[in-house]
Amino acid sequence: MERVGVFICHCGSNIGAVVDCAKVAENVRNYPGVAYSTDYKYMCSEPGQEMIQNAIKEHNLNRVVVASCSPRMHEKTFRACVEKVGLNPYMFEMANIREHCSWVHAGKNEEATEKATDLVKMAVSKVCKNEELQKGHAPVTKRALVVGGGIAGIQCALDIANNGYQVDILERTPSIGGKMSQIDKTFPTIDCSACILTPKMVEASSHPNINLITYSELEHVDGYVGNFEVTIRKKARSVDIKKCTGCGTCMTKCPGKADDEFNMNLRKRTAIYTPFPQAIPNKPVIDRVNCLKFKSRENGKDVCGICSKFCPTGAIDYEQVDELVTEKYGAIVMATGYEQFDHSIYGEYGYGKYPDVISGLHFERLVNASGPTQGHIVRPSDHKEPKTVVMVKCVGSRDPEHGKSYCSRTCCMYTAKQATMIRDHCPDTKVYVFYMDVRTPGKLYDEFYNRTREEYGVEYVRGRVSKIYQDGEQLMVKGEDTLLGKQVEIAADMVILANAMIPQTDSEKMAQIVGIGYDKDGWFTESHPKLGPVETHTAGVFLAGACQGPKDIPDSVAQAGAAAVKVCALLSKDQLETEPTVSKVDTKICSGCGLCVPVCPYKAITLETIQERRAGKTIERLVANVNSSLCQGCGACTVTCRSGAANLKHFTNAQILAEVDALCQTIL
Amino acid sequence: MSDIQSEMRATAKQLLESGEATVVIGWEKGTMPYNSTPVMIRSAADVDKLIWDEYCQQNLSTYLIDFIYTEDKVAIFAKGCDTRAYNRLIQDKRISADKCIVIGVPCSGMKSAKAAAKLPEGAEVPMSKACKECRYPNPVVFDRKIGQDVTPWCTEKDFSDVEAIEAMDQDAKAAFWKEQYTKCIRCYACRNICPACNCTNCIFDQSASGWQSKDINASENQFYGVTRAFHVAGRCIECGQCEMVCPSDVPIMLMNKKFIKDIDTLFGAYEAGLETEGPVPLSHYEVSDPEEFM
Amino acid sequence: MSNNSVENFEPKILVFACNWCTYAGADLAGTSRLQYPPNVRVLRVPCSCRVNPQFVIRAFQRGIDGVLVAGCHPGDCHYTTGNYYTRRRFLLITRMMEYMGIDPKRFHTRWISGAEGPKFQQVVTEMIEEVKAIGPNDKLRDDMKVEVKAVETNE
Repeated sequence: MERVGVFICHCGSNIGAVVDCAKVAENVRNYPGVAYSTDYKYMCSEPGQEMIQNAIKEHNLNRVVVASCSPRMHEKTFRACVEKVGLNPYMFEMANIREHCSWVHAGKNEEATEKATDLVKMAVSKVCKNEELQKGHAPVTKRALVVGGGIAGIQCALDIANNGYQVDILERTPSIGGKMSQIDKTFPTIDCSACILTPKMVEASSHPNINLITYSELEHVDGYVGNFEVTIRKKARSVDIKKCTGCGTCMTKCPGKADDEFNMNLRKRTAIYTPFPQAIPNKPVIDRVNCLKFKSRENGKDVCGICSKFCPTGAIDYEQVDELVTEKYGAIVMATGYEQFDHSIYGEYGYGKYPDVISGLHFERLVNASGPTQGHIVRPSDHKEPKTVVMVKCVGSRDPEHGKSYCSRTCCMYTAKQATMIRDHCPDTKVYVFYMDVRTPGKLYDEFYNRTREEYGVEYVRGRVSKIYQDGEQLMVKGEDTLLGKQVEIAADMVILANAMIPQTDSEKMAQIVGIGYDKDGWFTESHPKLGPVETHTAGVFLAGACQGPKDIPDSVAQAGAAAVKVCALLSKDQLETEPTVSKVDTKICSGCGLCVPVCPYKAITLETIQERRAGKTIERLVANVNSSLCQGCGACTVTCRSGAANLKHFTNAQILAEVDALCQTIL
Repeated sequence: MSDIQSEMRATAKQLLESGEATVVIGWEKGTMPYNSTPVMIRSAADVDKLIWDEYCQQNLSTYLIDFIYTEDKVAIFAKGCDTRAYNRLIQDKRISADKCIVIGVPCSGMKSAKAAAKLPEGAEVPMSKACKECRYPNPVVFDRKIGQDVTPWCTEKDFSDVEAIEAMDQDAKAAFWKEQYTKCIRCYACRNICPACNCTNCIFDQSASGWQSKDINASENQFYGVTRAFHVAGRCIECGQCEMVCPSDVPIMLMNKKFIKDIDTLFGAYEAGLETEGPVPLSHYEVSDPEEFM
Repeated sequence: MSNNSVENFEPKILVFACNWCTYAGADLAGTSRLQYPPNVRVLRVPCSCRVNPQFVIRAFQRGIDGVLVAGCHPGDCHYTTGNYYTRRRFLLITRMMEYMGIDPKRFHTRWISGAEGPKFQQVVTEMIEEVKAIGPNDKLRDDMKVEVKAVETNE
């Protein structure tokens, strides 16, 4: 016998000023199932909760409905409240008469009261069909995976490791370090990027709790929070990392040549290579596309092999193949970073075909002392020092039509930084910056920008560049100075574009593998823009750094630390509580057609054989089975199931139908 | 046809005598000249009951479900539509291929028993509607085959009847369906005969589930009609058995074909029952599916 | 039935809202005090993919004037893929409902995110206005059941 207690909250005047709460309580007093009904000023307050608890005892209530704010606000509060006096917390429902009623129907007191009554009746009808549910428990694998070995990934792994937990860094390139290792100096302090990054890289590689898995890709993720099973593709290095001492002889002897991606193709590297001298691990890989031996094998020959001949430890292994390994983790941090927008889509900037129109990252390599020009700022075309440099901001950013609608956040500052560096290196060189707006929020950022203009004499021109074209040896830059309201034309020797930050080209695929959301641009989506900035909607998966959106180094490092704390909080538990509101299959009804299997996003449904007695003999038949640890309770299977064998606990067909009927019953 | 019929009998005899099959499902002559009804033959002595004429419209594949828990090895005569139903049942894991021997029989289209019943004896009987629109008269899967393949007389799906309803205004549509479903007596014959309606426990048999009341009226009957059409959406093989058995002449295929048409238009052309693997339209999605809900 | 007069007709509209996006969007409309007519009732489901089309038909049978099924935008589903199934199912059901004679203005599916309080307000306001203009629903309706309830309630 259902004995429902109904408690209508005034929320002070939040509800009470619009909804006649006493009348709602009166309206439902004789509604089927209702044993007790009342209203009160603040249900969530201490006396309010005591009122509910006393009523449960006094009136022998076995189900409770509270009509107040959104369940997203206080469902937990009231569940705990009824549980304290022995009611199962799932024998409780909430009717949202504040956010969905009083706050949106101000002044319409009569209609709002009627609506509140409907909402309470729906909740009562549902709660009458609620069942007692028990939370489950799942163990936790006390090890984390950080995907991406840039500064965010490294910092996050260090923070997790220093808390005493095992952590693996998965990096797809041959070395950790990420974009920060390509950058020469960092704003606003102009300290050397490598000088602050490499100690962290070394610390990560030598930390007893950190294991580096480089030159490897994320292949597949199974499982759930606390119990992920991750398949990793360890790409064939062609070098036995255990035998290799990193002496580098192979690299000095290798005759194969390839574009040096680390140096933005501004020079060549060998086919067996480490991306940069401070690479970690400092062990080379063979780039099989450009290796003479592998190229010759495609033509049925087998030449070269010089690296193998010169390797003193016999570490070269041309026969290595990709290896798939599956590891268990309790938590995953995505720190996959960003890519640089490709400006070659812009005709006005020359479709990327002028050699002296370069991107910001190109410039970082040009100005780097260990870069292709030993730090001399020269034009890529003729290696002459530029006398006039034009810098263009917002290339691909804030351009919803051709590029991205968002601001890339870092460009204003790195452009200012690069402008000052040009002025430092080449004091005679004139620098112009075309900009839409200057955005410099951040500690000491605006001060830096002001110095760029005032002390370094960099000329800022507000306006967009309409065209860049080659004129003899020079580049003509045409644009409008919107402050002066006139066209300007500058004969430049070099143009540096502040290209937007974009997600990794395969970020959407990555998100799908891990099972997290991504936005229209491909950035990973946090669970809440303000209150859940490092969490995702998938429990146990966290975000660090620019994979979530454009970010500079300090922000990436801060977010990495935040993600690490969340990971540690998770790994510190021995067991995780699991929600009981999961799907369940009634095997008596299930035909075993298996159509529910592919719709489950968590691969929680499998077909299994059961034995049954039928007409005097034992038969075997297939039925669907839901792994309640994997199931997250979306309900996709319940609609796929024609016979209604699959049902979602707490949101059963009968419960939803009861709500629909309760609402329609009030239609006259 | 008599050649095929004698070959059917010979095949059945051989299968039963050799023990390759313990039961053969085919058609026998019914009580009226325009009735040919299913028959299950267990003894070689009975094979002469088997017939093949222009009224063998009934899809036999659904009977295979009756044998899933028996020790039988079942041979079944199967027209194009029966084989699509067979594939459908395999894909739904309701029958197992290694218990069945499918003897394909190309079909030239069956006559409408319903029309025949209304016509004077000897009058020309038209082909049944489902057969007129059939694109797969030849078995799509078989272990053996009797007779020669025929050339399909339809290559495209014919949605003219669906389009005629779509062209009506909303009130006319509602009135049309209300009239049709007022006739429905909810005997569930359409469900029972349907090879896609193969659940062990149909929701319409679970009165306690609360899905439907036992009232017979246009509203409840339409709930039944739309729900059943939705349940077979993407799985209907267009054999038209539902309409064939409906005692109230409800145009059930008009519902099923509406879903078929929309699935084809929205998600790409799909033919149920041609394969036993691969995604079923409603257990599958594409990120690029049409977006109308922004 | 008082609903029969179209002039004073106040429709009742059922909104199936997914817990993570649309329900949150409706909450946001509330916290932002975005006003809309009080004709809608929100029924919370974990995901729009939990909404069985049979629920929608049932609501029309029992006399509802309009139904809105709303969930996260594709790609944003809390359960990653739920709303892709919603989209498939309801692309079909929308067409079937229209085929059965239900005015398409009475039945909508919409993506409304947790940040789209204004969109929630706009979608329900427009829907209420449209349904008001076309009057009470009499299609698919089980008049007997609706009337029996009317009698019971009047007692």
